[in-house]
Amino acid sequence: MNNFGVVELASAKTTNAPGWAYVPDTRPAPGSAALPSNRKRAARNHAGLSLSDASARQDAKTRKDLEVLDRDTHKDANITIPPRTAGSRAQNKHTPNVRKILQSQKTFANHLDDYQALVALAETNPAAAAALNPANAQPKPAPPPTARNSPAPQPTPSTATSKRSAAAAKRAAAAAAKEEKERKEREAREAREAEEAAAGAERKPSPVPDDTTTSDPPPASDVEMADAPSLPQSYPADGTILPAYAKPPPAPHASDADPLLVSHVPAFPADDELRALMAAPPLSYLEARARWGDEERRYPPRAFCEVCGYWGKVQCVKCGARACALDCLEAHREECVTRYGL
Amino acid sequence: MAGGRKSKPAGPAPPSRTLVLDNGASTIKAGFVTDTTTDAPRIIPNCIARDRHRKTFVGSELEKCKDFGEIAFRRPVEKGFIVNWEAQKEIWDREFFDDKAPQRCDPSETRLVLAEQSNSLPALQLHCDQMVFEEFGFSSYCRVNGPAFNAYNDVQAIFQILRTPDTTIDVPAEVILLIDSGYSHTTVTPIVQGRPLHPAIRRLDVGGKLMTNYLTRLLSVRHFDMRSDPYIVNEMKETACYISLDFKGDLEKTWKGTRGQRSQDYLTGAGIAKDYVLPDSHTRFHGVVRDYEPGVSAKARKGAVSTEDILTLRNERFVVPELLFRPSDIGIRQPGLGDLVMQSLSVLPVGLWPGLLANIVVVGGNSLYENFIQRLQTEILERVPDSCIVRVARPEDPVTSTWLGAASFAKHQHVEKLAVTKQEYEENGAGWVARKFSAGLGVEL
Repeated sequence: MNNFGVVELASAKTTNAPGWAYVPDTRPAPGSAALPSNRKRAARNHAGLSLSDASARQDAKTRKDLEVLDRDTHKDANITIPPRTAGSRAQNKHTPNVRKILQSQKTFANHLDDYQALVALAETNPAAAAALNPANAQPKPAPPPTARNSPAPQPTPSTATSKRSAAAAKRAAAAAAKEEKERKEREAREAREAEEAAAGAERKPSPVPDDTTTSDPPPASDVEMADAPSLPQSYPADGTILPAYAKPPPAPHASDADPLLVSHVPAFPADDELRALMAAPPLSYLEARARWGDEERRYPPRAFCEVCGYWGKVQCVKCGARACALDCLEAHREECVTRYGL
Repeated sequence: MAGGRKSKPAGPAPPSRTLVLDNGASTIKAGFVTDTTTDAPRIIPNCIARDRHRKTFVGSELEKCKDFGEIAFRRPVEKGFIVNWEAQKEIWDREFFDDKAPQRCDPSETRLVLAEQSNSLPALQLHCDQMVFEEFGFSSYCRVNGPAFNAYNDVQAIFQILRTPDTTIDVPAEVILLIDSGYSHTTVTPIVQGRPLHPAIRRLDVGGKLMTNYLTRLLSVRHFDMRSDPYIVNEMKETACYISLDFKGDLEKTWKGTRGQRSQDYLTGAGIAKDYVLPDSHTRFHGVVRDYEPGVSAKARKGAVSTEDILTLRNERFVVPELLFRPSDIGIRQPGLGDLVMQSLSVLPVGLWPGLLANIVVVGGNSLYENFIQRLQTEILERVPDSCIVRVARPEDPVTSTWLGAASFAKHQHVEKLAVTKQEYEENGAGWVARKFSAGLGVEL
C-alpha cells in the first residue's frame, strides 16, 4: 500500500472515544461476510464463472435480499424488558464491568467490526492493539505469534506471580524433558514401523478400490484384517492419543490376501501431528467461515423462477429476474419496476 | 506452598451441584447435574416475546401465550453468541435465580458448565466470563466448545452398533465428526478424544432462522404476507418441510404446467403438495398439515364455504431445506453441507479421514427434517473415494444431545481440569480465565 509517500508513524497511544475509534479500514465491509465484497463490476472482478450472468444491479439486489433474510425480525421490534414481579432477587449493585456490559447496545455486527479493526490495528501498530485488546486485562506474557491470527488469548501458562511462575517453569521444564524422551522413543518406534510398513507394501499389491467394502465392518477392524497375516498387532502405529485396535482381529478368511478384496487404509497420523492439531488455537470468526472453492465454481449456480419456484429458464429483459415461462413472466412484468439502486 | 496462609486452602471442594446450560439462539437447554443424578433438561425459549395485545413474555412464560399471531421476538443471542446481556440476564434471572424461578439455584454453591459456539469473538467471551463471575457470582465455571460436548455421549449407541452388555463405554469418544445445524448456522467440527480440532472447524451461515425467513418470503410472494408472523411460519417449516432425495424430480412434479394445460401432477398434488391450515387464533392455535385435496384451497380462497385459511404448499416444502445443501440457490457464496465436510477434512491428515467419515453425528434442530440423514450420506458418498465407509447418524433427540453430552462432561474428570473458581478469577483476572478456556483440555490425556 503506497499512501502517496506518507508513512504512518506508530504511536503507542490511541485515544479512543467510547463506542468508536479511528482505525485503518483496509477491507471492504467484512461484516457482511455472506455477501460478495464489491458490488461494482461484479462480473469482471470474479475469476472464472461468477454468479451466472448477474449484473451489478442484480448483485446488489441479491445482497439486499440476503441481508433481509439474515435479520432476526421483520420489523425492528423494540421490546423493553417488563418490570419484575414480586419475589425477584434484590437488585444488587453492579460492578463497573457489568454495568458497561449491560448498557452496551452493540449488536454482533458491531462486535465483529470492532474485532476486525483490532486485528488491522495489530498489523500496523501492535503496541496500541495490545493496549486495547479486551482479553488483556492482565499483562500478556507473549505477543500473538502472527498478526493475522486472532489476538485471542494464547494457551500459555500465566506469569502472574513470581512464585507461581517459578513453579510453572519447573513443571514446564520437567514436562518438556519428558516429552523429549517420549518423542525420541516414538521416533524410533515409528522408524521401525515405517520400515516394516515399507516391507509390507512391497509384498502387498497396489491398492484396488473395491465396492465390496460397504458390507465390511467399520474401518477399525478393517485395518486389522487387511494386514493381519503379515504385520504385527499394532498397525497402524499405536499412538498414545489414538490407541490401536486392541480387540482380537476377526477370524482369518481364505481370501483375505485376495488383491481384489484388500482394502487400502491410509496410515494414521503421527502423535506429534495430532498433538499439534489438538493444541492449535481457534480460528477467528471470519476465517472459520466456509468459502467457495474450485469445486463450487465448476458449475454455474442454479436459477429459479421468482414467481413459482420452477427452473428459471427465461429472464426479464428489464430487470434480469428469472421466470419459468410466459405465465410467470407476465405475472412478473406486472410488478416489475426498475428503479435506480434497486 | 507449605505453611501458606491458612485462609486459603489448596482448593475449596468443588460445588456438588452443576448447572449445565446450552444457551442456544432459539432455546436454552438447562438442567442440574450432581455426582449421582442427572435431571432431564428443560427447554426454555431464549427470547422476550410480545404478542399483538402488547403483552410481554420472558423465556418460559411463552408457554402461557396462546395466540402467536403477529408475535415479535427479541433474542439475546445473535449468530450463536450471547450479545445482548441485558435481555439474557433477565431471562436467566427469571429461570434460575429468582425466588419463584422454575429451576432455582444459588450461584454461590453451584458450578456452571456453559456451552459456547466455536470461533467466538474475544470481546464476547470476556463479557460472558465477567457476567458469570461478577454479576451472577457462580462459585465455579467452565465455558467449553459446545459441539465437542457431543463426544461425551455414548456415540456407538447412536450408530446402533451391536455389542455385548458388559462393553465399557469409552467417554469421550475417540474420533467423531460432528455436524451441528442450529438456529443461526451450521458447523462441522472434527473431534478427537473430546478436543475439537480448531483448524478444521468450518461454518456455513445457513440455519433455521435463514430458512424460516426464506419460507416467509416465498409465502409472501405467492400467498399472504406472513412477514409479521415468524412463529407461525416457523411452525409450518418444522411440520411441513422435508429434504428432497430427488430434487429435480420433485421440482418437475410440482410444476404447474404450460399455460393452457395444467400438468397432471400439479392437479393431483403428486404426494408432495400439502394443505396447511393456518391458526385462526380463536379455535385453532396451531397450524395443521393436511393431505392436499384438489379444489379445497381454491374454494377457501373464495371464502364461500369454509372459514379456514388454507395454504397449499408445493415446492416450498423442499426448496427451503435445500438451502443447507445448495446455498448458492439464493446467492449465498458458500459451499453446501457436503462440500463443507470436505473442506473441513481437507485440512486434516488423510489418516484421520476413515475414522471421521465412519462416525458422523448430526445434532441440532435442522437435523429433524425428514430424509436429512440419507441426503447427507449421499452427498458425502459422492465426494469421497469409493472405498470409504460413510456412516451418518442422528441421536434420538438431536436438540438436547449437546446438553446431554455436557451433563456427561460435568461428571467426567475433565471438568476439573477446566473449571475456574471465583477465587481464581478474582486473583488472576479475566485475561487468565480467557486463556485457560481457550487452551481447552490440552493434549495430555
